[in-house]
Parts: sequence; C-alpha cells; structure tokens
Amino acid sequence: MNALLLACWLLPLAGAIVIWAFGPQLRRGAGPLGSAVVFASLACAGSLFSQASNETGVGETLVTWIPGYTFGLRLDALSLLWTLIITGVGGLIHVYSIGYMWSDRAFARFFAYLNFFVFSMLTLVLSDNVVGLLVGWGLVGLASYFLIGFWFYKPTAVAAARKAFVINVVGDIGIMFAIFALFASTGSIAYADIFAKAGTLPVGVLIAVCLGLFVGAAAKSAQVPLHTWLPDAMEGPTPVSALIHAATMVTAGVYLIARFAPLYNLSPTAQSIVAIVGGITMLTGAVLGIAQWDIKRILAYSTMSQIGYMIMGVGVGAYQAGVLHFFTHAFFKAQLFLGAGIIIHALNDEQDVRKMGGLYRRMPFAFWAMLLGTLAIIGFPFFSGSYSKDAVIYGTLERGHGILYVAGILTAGITAFYMFRMIFVVFFGPERDDVPDVALAIPEAAHVAHAEDHDAAHAPEWLMRLPVAILMVPTVAAGWLSIGGNTSPWYRYFGTLFGTSENVNAPPLPIPELASQFIVYAVVTVGVVIAYLRYGTPAALRGSVERLRAEALAMPVALERAFWFDDAIAFAIVRPAQALGAFIGRVLDPHVIDAAVRDIAWLAGALGLVARALQNGLVRTYAFTIAIGAACFIAYFAFVGIAGR
Amino acid sequence: MIWALVIVPIVAGLLCYALPRSAENAAKWIAVGVSFAAFLVVAFGYGLPDESLRWLQRPFAANFHVGLNGPGYWIVLLLALTTGCALMVTRLPRGRDFVAQMLILLGAMTGVFVARDLMLFALFWDLMLIPVFIVLVAWSPTKSSATAWKYLIYNLTGGLALLLATAAFGIVQGTTDVIGAAPGSLAQISPLWSFWIFAGFTLAFLIKTPVFPFHTWAPDTYADLPAPMAAVVSAVQSKAGLYGFIVVGSALLGGPMHRAAAAMIALGLISLVYGALAALAQDDTKRIVAYSSLSHLGLIVLAVFSFDPIAYGGAVVYIVAHGLFSAGLFMTIGEVELREDTRLLSRLGGLGARNPRLAGGLTLVALAALGLPGLCGFAGEILILTGLYSAGLVWQTIVALVPIVLAAAYMLRLFQGTMHGPELADLPEREDLSPIEFLALAPLVVAIVLLGVNPGPLAASAASHGTVANAVARVETP
Amino acid sequence: MSVELTNYVTLSAVMFFIGVAGVIVRRNPLIVLMAIELMFNAANLALVAFSRAWVNNAGHIFVFLVVTVAAAEAAIGLAIVVAVFRRAKNVDLDEVAGMHG
Repeated sequence: MNALLLACWLLPLAGAIVIWAFGPQLRRGAGPLGSAVVFASLACAGSLFSQASNETGVGETLVTWIPGYTFGLRLDALSLLWTLIITGVGGLIHVYSIGYMWSDRAFARFFAYLNFFVFSMLTLVLSDNVVGLLVGWGLVGLASYFLIGFWFYKPTAVAAARKAFVINVVGDIGIMFAIFALFASTGSIAYADIFAKAGTLPVGVLIAVCLGLFVGAAAKSAQVPLHTWLPDAMEGPTPVSALIHAATMVTAGVYLIARFAPLYNLSPTAQSIVAIVGGITMLTGAVLGIAQWDIKRILAYSTMSQIGYMIMGVGVGAYQAGVLHFFTHAFFKAQLFLGAGIIIHALNDEQDVRKMGGLYRRMPFAFWAMLLGTLAIIGFPFFSGSYSKDAVIYGTLERGHGILYVAGILTAGITAFYMFRMIFVVFFGPERDDVPDVALAIPEAAHVAHAEDHDAAHAPEWLMRLPVAILMVPTVAAGWLSIGGNTSPWYRYFGTLFGTSENVNAPPLPIPELASQFIVYAVVTVGVVIAYLRYGTPAALRGSVERLRAEALAMPVALERAFWFDDAIAFAIVRPAQALGAFIGRVLDPHVIDAAVRDIAWLAGALGLVARALQNGLVRTYAFTIAIGAACFIAYFAFVGIAGR
Repeated sequence: MIWALVIVPIVAGLLCYALPRSAENAAKWIAVGVSFAAFLVVAFGYGLPDESLRWLQRPFAANFHVGLNGPGYWIVLLLALTTGCALMVTRLPRGRDFVAQMLILLGAMTGVFVARDLMLFALFWDLMLIPVFIVLVAWSPTKSSATAWKYLIYNLTGGLALLLATAAFGIVQGTTDVIGAAPGSLAQISPLWSFWIFAGFTLAFLIKTPVFPFHTWAPDTYADLPAPMAAVVSAVQSKAGLYGFIVVGSALLGGPMHRAAAAMIALGLISLVYGALAALAQDDTKRIVAYSSLSHLGLIVLAVFSFDPIAYGGAVVYIVAHGLFSAGLFMTIGEVELREDTRLLSRLGGLGARNPRLAGGLTLVALAALGLPGLCGFAGEILILTGLYSAGLVWQTIVALVPIVLAAAYMLRLFQGTMHGPELADLPEREDLSPIEFLALAPLVVAIVLLGVNPGPLAASAASHGTVANAVARVETP
Repeated sequence: MSVELTNYVTLSAVMFFIGVAGVIVRRNPLIVLMAIELMFNAANLALVAFSRAWVNNAGHIFVFLVVTVAAAEAAIGLAIVVAVFRRAKNVDLDEVAGMHG
C-alpha cells in the first residue's frame, strides 16, 4: 500500500465529508481546515516527486468489478504535474476564499464543495484507467455544478449550473463510447493494457475512440460548439471561476488528449480534427472577448481562447508545448481571476467594467496583480505566457499547419487588444460607479442580493492578497523552465512520455523559431497599441462615458449573441427535444397508446351494452325467452328427429 | 427459513388488523421490525438450502420449492431493505391498514423471487397484485378506482398469460420445478409449443416491467399510489418481469428467446428513448420518475436480450441500482408532497434553503438516477453498455447513450425545480426531515454509494449463477 | 278400461303450457306462483303416467321429491313476494325490475 498516494487522493474527500457533516459547528473553522487538507495533499504529492516524475511512476490497485474492469491509482509525470497544480493553486485559492466568502452564510458548505472538487479532480488525474477517469470526469462536473449554482436562490445561477452539467454529460457519453470501443478490442480499461495494444487497433476503431474522447475533452474544456456553458458558469463565486473554470477543471481536456497521446499519435486524422477545433475555439473566444462588458465574462472568453491554444498544441502533437501552456495559464489566469475577485468584492459584487474606471488609484494592489496577469496572458516577452504561447504557435508550424499558425498569431494580437481594453477601462479614467446606468447603456437587471451576514466583521485583507502575491512569482517566471528548447528542464521532465507523433514529417521550416517569436511580439504590440489608442489616450479617458455608451449601443448583433451558438443549440436540439417530450407526454402517450388500450376496453363495454338490452329485469321476459328456447329445442327433435333414427 | 420469509410478513400483516385502529405507530414499528428482520435473515442467508414440499403430481409435477440464491437473492435483499425504509417514512390516514398491506406485499413479492417452481412463481405473481390493488382503491387521491382497475386488468392479463404458459410448459415438460435447473436437464420442446409458451411469458413480463407499448398503467399507478408503496412497487415489483426474463425466459427457452431478440431490443430501445423524452415534459414529479423508470428498465431489456455475460452482470447490478434510487426518489418526493401538499413542479421551488437534509437526499438519489459516475446507476449502465457493444450491437449502444443526456436534463429539472430557485412565498413552511426520516434514507444512500464503488459481487454472483450461465451458454449452441 | 298414455301426456302438455302462459302474461306474483305450480304438476302427471306405463317406480319417487321441493319453493316464493311488497308497496311484477342491466 502506498499510503502517501492514498492520502494525497483521499484527504480532500475526508475534508469535504467532515466539513459537510460538521459545517454548523465548524463555522469559520471550515476555511482553514479545508485549506489545510489541500496543502497536506500537496505535501503528499510533493514528497512523491522523485519517485513519480517518470513514465511509470507509482501505482496502487484498488478494486476489481469484473475481469478487465480493474481500478487503481497511478502517479506518473503527467498526473504529477496536474496533481501539483490542483493542490498547489487549489490550496492558494482555498486561502483566498476564506477572505472572499467570509460573510457568506453558507461559508462551510462552500469549502465542503471546494474540497470535494479537489478530490474529484485528483480522481480524474490519478486514475490508472479510463473508467476511473470518467468517474473523476463526472464528479468534477458535479462539483462544478454545485459551485456554479452555489447561490441557488438566483435563477440565473440555477440555469447556468444545469446547462454546464448537461453539456458535460454530452462529453461523458463521448468518453463512454470510447470506453466501449476500447474494451471490446483490448479487453481492459487500464491505460497500460490499452497502450500496449494500441498498435493492433484497426484504424476505424482508433479514429472512433479518439473522436469519442475528444467529444469529452471538448465539452469539459469548452471547445466550439460545446463551449456555451463556460461564460454562463461565471455565475459562481469568483474563487470558483479561478479554480475550476480557469486553472484546473477546464483543462482536463488537455490532460485527456495528452494522456492518450499513444492513441492520437497513431491517428493523424483525429489529431487534425482536434487541432482545427482547438484553433477555431482559440479565435472564437478571442473575438468574443472583445465584446464583453462583464469582467468575469471577459476572462471566461479569454480562458476559452487560451484552452483553444492548448488543445491546438496537443492536437498537432506538440504535447510539451500544450501542457506547458496549461501550466503557465493555471498561474496567470488564477491570478487574473483572483485580482478581479478583489475588485468585485470591494465594489459590492459589481462586475460590469463600465461601472468601474479609475480603480488604479483606489486599488493599486489589484492593478499590479491584473497587469502582471495581463502581460503574461498576452505573451509579453519574458513573462510565463510568452514561452508557452510561442511554443504552441511555433509547434503548429513545425508540424505543417500553416493556417493554424497564422490563426495563432492573429489570436495573440486580439488577446492583447481585449486584455488591455479591460485594463484601461477598469483602472484608468474617471470612476464611473455613480454614473447612471442609462448613460452607460446598461440594461436593467434583476439584482438578487447574497445571503450575507452584514453585521459580520470583514476578513483581514491579507487573506485575499497573500495568495495573489504568491501567484505573481510563477505568473512571471513559470515559463523560464522551458528556456533552452529540447534540453530544458521542462522537456527533460516528460522524457518520452508522449512518444513521437507520426506528424513530424513536416517540410523544412520557412522561418526560425526566434523570428517567429518576433512576429508574435510585433502583432501583440499592435494589439496593445490599438487598445491604447482606443481606450487609453488622455482624450479617450476623458470621454469614456460617451465612448462606452456608443460602443455598447453599436455592438454588432453577431457579437452580442455570441455568434448565435446558444440560439442554434436551442433551436436545433433543446427545443425539438422538449417539443417531442411534450408531444409524447401530452398527446402520444395518453391519446394514442393509452387510447388504443382504452378502445379495447370500450369495445368490451359496447358489447356489454348490446347484451344489456336483453336484461330488462322482467321475470316474464326471461320466462318467455326460456319458453321459446324450449320450443325450438322440441321443434328440432320433432321435425329433424334424433340423430340416427 | 426461506418459507418464513414469505409467510411471516403475510401473517404479520393480517395480524395487524387485530390491533386497534388507533395503534398506527405500533403497527408501523412492528412492520419496520419485520422488514429489517427479513433483511438480516436474507443478508446472512445467502445460499440457504432449498426447501421443497410436494404440491401437484398430475397433470404435471409442481412443488412448493423455494431457494435463496442467484439474482433473486439480491432482489429479495433489496425488497426487504426498501420496504423497511419506506415503512419508516409512512405517514398516512388509516396507517394500520396501510402497513398491513405493505407487509402482505412484502411476503408476496418475496415469494416471487424465492420461488423455484414456475407454478409457485405464477401464484405469487398474482398474489402480489392484491395489496397494490387494495391500496389503490382505498387510498386513491381522486376517490376514483379507475387507476386501480387499470392496474389490475393490465397485470391480470399478464398473469393469465403467465399461468397459461406455465401450465403448457408443465404439460409438455412434465414438471414446473425448473427455475435454476441445471442446463441440459430439460427435455427439448417442439418449436411450436416453445413459441407459444415463450409468447405467454413475454406478454406477462413486458406488461409487468413495463415495456413500451404496455406501459401506460405505470405512470397512473405510481402517481396514485401513496409514496411508500410506490417506492416498493417501482423498486421491486417492476423487476419481476426482468427477473422473469433472466431466470425463466433466457434460461429455459433459449431458442425462441434468440429469435425474438431483435424485436425485444427494438422495444427496449423505444422504451429507453420514449420514457426519457416523456419524462422531460411532465409537471408531476412522480410521473417524471415513472417515465424515467420506463426509460431505465428499457436498458435492462436491452441487456437481457444481448446475451452477453458482462451485460447480464450489469443487468443485475442495474436492477438493484434502479431499485435503490427509484425507492429513494419516491420517498423523497413523498416527503416533499407531505410538506407542501403538492408535487407539481410548477408550484414548487426553493425548498432547499429550509430543508437542507431533504435537498441533500433528493440530490443524491437523483444523481444516482441520472447515472453520475461513482454511484450505482453508472455502474450498471456502463457494464450493460460495455456488454452491448462487445456483443456487436454498436448502433444500439449509440442510441442508448442519448437518453443519458436526457436523464441529466429531466433529473436536474426535477430536483432544481423543487429545491432550487427563489423560495416561493405561498408554500407552507414546514420542518426539514426528522431524524427518523433521515435515518430511513440513510441505508439507501449508503447502498447507492457502496454499489457504485464496487458492484463486483453482484455482477459476479449473477454471472456465476446456474440460470444465467445457462442462458449465456445457449448463445453458443442455439 | 284404461286410459291411453297419450291422453295423460296430452293433458300434461296442455297443463304445462297453461302454466307457461300464466308465468309470461300475468303481472300478479301470486298468480305467477300458481302458474309455476301448474307446471310442476304437469310434470308430475307425466312422470306418474310414464311410471305406470313402464312399470317403474322411479317416476313415483321423483314425484314425491318434486312435491316437496314445490312446497318449499312456494314458501320461499311467497316470502319473497311479501318482502317485495313491504319494500315497494306494490306487487306488480313489471314494476319490480331491479335486476335490469
């Protein structure tokens, strides 16, 4: 028994159960307790680092359902990386949440859910088989559901939670299909057995499996067209957005594809589909990011766009690059969300950037946090994001995907534009929190207040600042691990874990990596400059109220409706299913099927009515009938005679 | 000892009528005690020796033969557990009479699943209709007995078909003491006879399960039955048909079973999709669960007619799993109805804030029902579907995946509609679950989690049992 | 001289059909009961006549049985008539049609 591995996996579950059961008694103690178990889990994973950071790692077999359905844990280089991020960044976000949720009535419940999420995510990455992964996959979906709908008295939150869950179930059935195909052809669900037989799988099965898995990845990682739940998921508390919908859960799709690299490497068709969908998502997310007014939705679309990069990276076979982007993104996106959380908290849950403005003076700490995160996400030189993003973009070119390469560079420019748009609008110019909504073209929204204890004392400020301050270090420096290309610590860490992709047969590269990086920097600079000219110049800042109002009113419908994805899904799937259900429930079932049976019963009744006419209750009628019968009887024998005579 | 499992509850039920009318609580706790005692006996009684008494010699041999093993064992265990839990939350007018009927139902249904003689099976099959019919008449919310008659006529039609088929089987085979018989110990039946015998069994089983298009009695019955009995009927009585297919149909009638497979799989698929779609649009929470049962049980029909060992294991797992979560669903919905005097989604909402324990219970059973990985519903589903795919039924597997998404949609609608959203002011304010009611849900919840984590013993014991192994073996030599 | 068997049987048939006609056409239950008695006795007459003709005592024994049963029947019939009269204040058979379907 590897006690450390089991402890790493089960501690958060124990925390969740204890906090759920004793929440009312623990009250504020739930926060430190919840954080402590996550850090303890981190310590367990950390102490296994030297054993686990290779291809085989450490493992543990737990239960067997039927032959071939054996469940166990395995901590290898890939799952170790995810485990460290989940528990490390997760622990910091737990600490942050103590401050953020301090005055919420359901403080303890929040930490029970957060711990449950960490346990689920660990189940997902630590499983040594694909059904165990699916269990984790479903449980993180559930945790996400609980946390999006945390304020369950808000109808919008309830709807968003349901949407997220149902779309994720669509992904689950994709993975289930892959499981069936894999089990039918390999007789096992364990990664080791599947990968050992990967070479023997027929091409059709391979493509079906890879696409089934990708449906799961797309739903979880918000890839087009299954992305529509992610912006809505921002209904959850901000720490949730940082932990689940930015740093960890939504990157599970990247993990899945990286984990199944041995299969994807054998199927260039599936790889291309993954990469193209990733590229489309990347660009779509960035374009939609331009059009958002809610600070969290800006970040949500940027998350979608950045995951598009990661999926594109692992899709083309540049696994190290894609996973590196996950690694750096976990830090800088958590940083951005937590910074945004500080602002939202200070402004009493105001999330509309039009109502902010000039916050640089009021909240310098939040400004610096957001600025560092922004510089990292746009790929500013020497910040973490630049290394990973450049690696992904150049990876597409290395493997011969010229169009994706151009799209990647273009998206980098758009990202720079909308992120700096956010910085300028939020932190510079006049403060607009007392400008009437009409002047800013903000539609009236039903506002549901939090169930807060208003008399409760506020949490000490350092609780929210400390995690952000700690995150600043990797936000800047995480990418430095990959300096030096294939000989860097990052590439040596993974070794041959991902195998080699058959896609590495590209023609000689038109431009060297350094030149490519400069092209990216140039495009990013253009994006920043446009943002400055539009939102940052002194003249633009002075007229910000009119400019924002004009922009809001002139917003193209395509952007406002987010390219009609929601409408299309509602039109093509949701409403037909509901209509069909209503038709069955109200017409077909009672008036056709049941009616057919009732008609048979009615027929029996009708025959009864005929027979009933004979039963008039008069004895003499009966007697008369008997007499006629008797007469006929006698007449028969009288005239026909007894048979044989 | 096995006979005691059948007789003691029935006698105890009849004796309840000897108690004074006002002794509702005494009757209830006696009934709870009987149920849990039965549960303990079954739990420690796996593989008790069969008990047999001679019944008929002519025109064919029939015995009072009962046994406690195979898939029936798990269903009896489930039955005793759900009956006990459902009785604990019973709060009805004329409570003494109601628990008496529950006990009689417990005894009769135990008889169905322990019978090892087809004649005895058919006898208990009809006997278990009586308490449900009485309760439907006497506790009808609408003061009309239409639902009761619908239930009785549908199920008696099936019962008659079953009886005729059993008699025909006995005449051609010379004995009906065959459930669990060793493969090859039975004489060959001519194709014509076996077709009609199979048709009789199948009609009975399809009506009981129910399977489209014989299902329309079920939503009405579940909607009108008081919640505790609805829980038991949907958890266990509806399994009699599937159990019948597993031990009677597939074990004894290999040939016609295989010839009918394509049609049965089609019916199973239709039930699966049809039930899920219908559940999407219902307003009555009990009807949502009723249609979801139609959908879930359709999946088990698929499993039975795929003749795949993994699917068979999954079928037994899912039979028990569905019993656990549908009992849980009816019990929690019953609690909601007790509190708010309605079970219409359009009039419910926001109960979660004041009833965290009730909300937690409903959430968990609904999650099990929608197949959340890690809970029992998922374990059954994935084993069944794995088996289906392995048996070569690829596109059927793909179609069967779609209702999983629909299940998520209607189950979330069910529990969000009752528990989430703004609190509705016009709903009366009531207490959360009392400790006893909470305790009644706890065993189900524990079982749901345990079965979800490791369904291995169920899947294995089902696959190793003579009848099922027999059925699977017949695939190779039809 | 002995009477021909045919005459007995003819008389029996005539008596029987008079009884039948009485049951069918009369609305007074007392008359109907009497008509039923008439049919019984028609049957008795036939039994006795055949019994004598074939020199077999079974017919006589049957007649005793029928006479006893007829007495019991008349008693029950009258009791029913009285009960119906008490309930309905009326002994018109056309009004007593409670068993109509």
